[in-house]
Amino acid sequence: MSETPRIELLLVEDNPQDLELALRALRKANLANHVHVSRDGAEALEFLFGDAAAAGRRLEDGPKLIMLDLKLPKVDGLEVLRRIKDDPRTKRIPVVMMTSSKEQSDLVKSYDLGVNSYIVKPVNFDGFAAAVQQLGLYWLLLNEPPRSDPP
Amino acid sequence: MKASIKEVDDLKAALDEHAIVAVTDPQGRITFVNDKFCAISKYARAELLGQDHRLINSGHHPPEFIRELWTTIAHGRVWRGEIKNRAKDGSFYWVDTTIVPFLDPNGKPRQYVAIRTDITARKQAEEKLNASNKEVLDLKTALDEHAIVAITDAHGKITFVNDKFCAISKYAREELLGQDHRLINSGFHPKEFIRELWTTIREGRVWRGEIKNRAKDGSLYWVDTTIVPFLDANGKPRQYVAIRTDITARKEAEEKLNASTKEVMDLKAALDEHAIVAITDAHGKITFVNDKFCAISKYAREELLGQDHRIINSGHHPKEFIRELWATIRQGRVWHGQLRNRAKDGSFYWVDTTIVPFLGENGKPRQYVAIRADITERKRIEMEIKELNAELEHRVVERTAQLEAANEQLESFSYSVSHDLRAPLRAVDGFSQAVLEDFGPQLPDEGRRQLQTIRSAAQQMGVLIDDLLTFSRLSRQSLAARRVDFNAMVRGVLQELGAPWADRRVEVRCADLPPALGDPALLKQVWLNLLSNALKYSGKRSPAVIEIGVADKAGRPAYFVRDNGTGFDMRYAGKLFGVFQRLHRPEEFEGTGVGLAIVQRIVQRHGGQVWADAAVDRGATFHFTLKSEPPT
Repeated sequence: MSETPRIELLLVEDNPQDLELALRALRKANLANHVHVSRDGAEALEFLFGDAAAAGRRLEDGPKLIMLDLKLPKVDGLEVLRRIKDDPRTKRIPVVMMTSSKEQSDLVKSYDLGVNSYIVKPVNFDGFAAAVQQLGLYWLLLNEPPRSDPP
Repeated sequence: MKASIKEVDDLKAALDEHAIVAVTDPQGRITFVNDKFCAISKYARAELLGQDHRLINSGHHPPEFIRELWTTIAHGRVWRGEIKNRAKDGSFYWVDTTIVPFLDPNGKPRQYVAIRTDITARKQAEEKLNASNKEVLDLKTALDEHAIVAITDAHGKITFVNDKFCAISKYAREELLGQDHRLINSGFHPKEFIRELWTTIREGRVWRGEIKNRAKDGSLYWVDTTIVPFLDANGKPRQYVAIRTDITARKEAEEKLNASTKEVMDLKAALDEHAIVAITDAHGKITFVNDKFCAISKYAREELLGQDHRIINSGHHPKEFIRELWATIRQGRVWHGQLRNRAKDGSFYWVDTTIVPFLGENGKPRQYVAIRADITERKRIEMEIKELNAELEHRVVERTAQLEAANEQLESFSYSVSHDLRAPLRAVDGFSQAVLEDFGPQLPDEGRRQLQTIRSAAQQMGVLIDDLLTFSRLSRQSLAARRVDFNAMVRGVLQELGAPWADRRVEVRCADLPPALGDPALLKQVWLNLLSNALKYSGKRSPAVIEIGVADKAGRPAYFVRDNGTGFDMRYAGKLFGVFQRLHRPEEFEGTGVGLAIVQRIVQRHGGQVWADAAVDRGATFHFTLKSEPPT
């Protein structure tokens, strides 16, 4: 059984078109190799907490970046964010909200829960693609995360 | 000669009969006394003869008197005078005395003959008269000192006044004498009063009474007056003596007292008319109730007197309340409050009550006066208002809940709009781009142009959605109220809009703007929309002139933005502030038609007005006011 390479980016997106466009933008920037996609909040939490345990993976060795849509079926984006930031083993993973909502209350709640970035998806694809690519480059390549030492 | 001797003897006998006779020698020794001398001196003749006259000296006369007597007779002259002598028994008697000296050939007195007449009775009467005269004078002096005295003749003309009469009447004596008493008549007393006075004294009877007179200076004074008529031999009054005492101060005090007593009585009557009054003694027993008390309590007076106030106790008030009431009034303090009482028929009434304790000499309340006003109707209305308020409160809560629910729905609606409508637009735009990227080379030019049109339409719709959301958010967003520096705000907005513009000529004229009170973020949106419009519609001018200033609109500052741009036809001004309403075609000027609608909504929410003046190709001016000026 070959070792699965570490997932670098968890993309949580329920809209298939947005998902395809996001993956297209990531591909263009050569950032799509180690991407895991969850289609709702429950799946995302399952991937982060459930599967990791099943696969014997340490939670600390989670993805290097999570791109999270705000409005998701089952468990919404804010709840997913709260769970990630509440758990000491996952709280250091950078989370970027990718959403269509400019509502102040959403922004405030997200920042209060410890979100690392909040991006309003532009309607314009060029803008959208640029945003996705810049985020990927910044958080995956430029940003230096703290080391997660084994216990 | 014989005949003449006889005559002398007769004369002597007559003298002896009539007078007290004594003869003394030059040394003063008595050589003869007649019977009358013995009788009046109460000495026997033998006791007198050979004695000196000092025997009967009373010691009444001073030595000079006696010396003058002896000098006179020793010189051979007759002495006359009245002498007071003392009889043997110590009693005194007065004698009118004539002493005649008889001379020898040498001219020296050889003997003295003293002839006396008893004048004791006359002298005593004189002494008495003198004493009573003195007494009368003393009395007159005292009266003068004390009283106001005037005497008038039978016709009422003043014949005498004393100093006090002048002092009180402020007339000089000469102004009064000969005048009638009408001079000081005050006109206060009725004619009958004056007539009765005259009738009394004319009949010779004393009149007593109080008279109000007028002094010379017009001031009035009261005198307690006694008029005594003195009668002539015919029994008619020959003069009247009037003795008066100044009682002005007493009368004034009486008048004041009467007035204040009258006032108190009036007040009491008014209070009785107006209020519910009861008096209780120190033990709380009712000692007085007025009619209104009986009426409201529905008890007869006799059912209440002697009773405790508990008779009308409704049981409504807690014990502490009643205890506090009693504690207050027992300490001598006034209690004021509202009480609910029960009438005899069991119905309740409310009274606004003031209880005033009246203290006895020991400082403890001796009685309590309670004054009440019926406030039953007011209380009933208060209760109704309370109920209505509660009802209203309840309704408000309900409505608020409904409103909140509606707001929540609206919020989730705009949330959906924001989130869900934009996603497909992004797909339209994104996949058009993907087609262009992936298959562009295989498409004809027209196909690529059409795909571009699809993209720009999708993007345009995105802007529309954003504007719509902004606009709808304005209605529910709560307003901050802060002092806003419009000068700084306008500078910031112009910078945001690209000032100074490198690609066009724009002249901005900005006046000094007074500060405003309002929501800074929203007011900034107003300036942003107005200024960006001004820049947009003056895009074809060179230079574009943007004027920012403040005018006066009924005492309020009216801020304005003026441009020299394309303007518009005032016939369409009504459409200007509607959502998605445009006066220009998109090819001329881009825009969604929401900007001015947003401006109007914000200004209205600040209690202000917005209006426009324009003409085609002659520029436009937009004014707005706000509700109130900021506190300085």
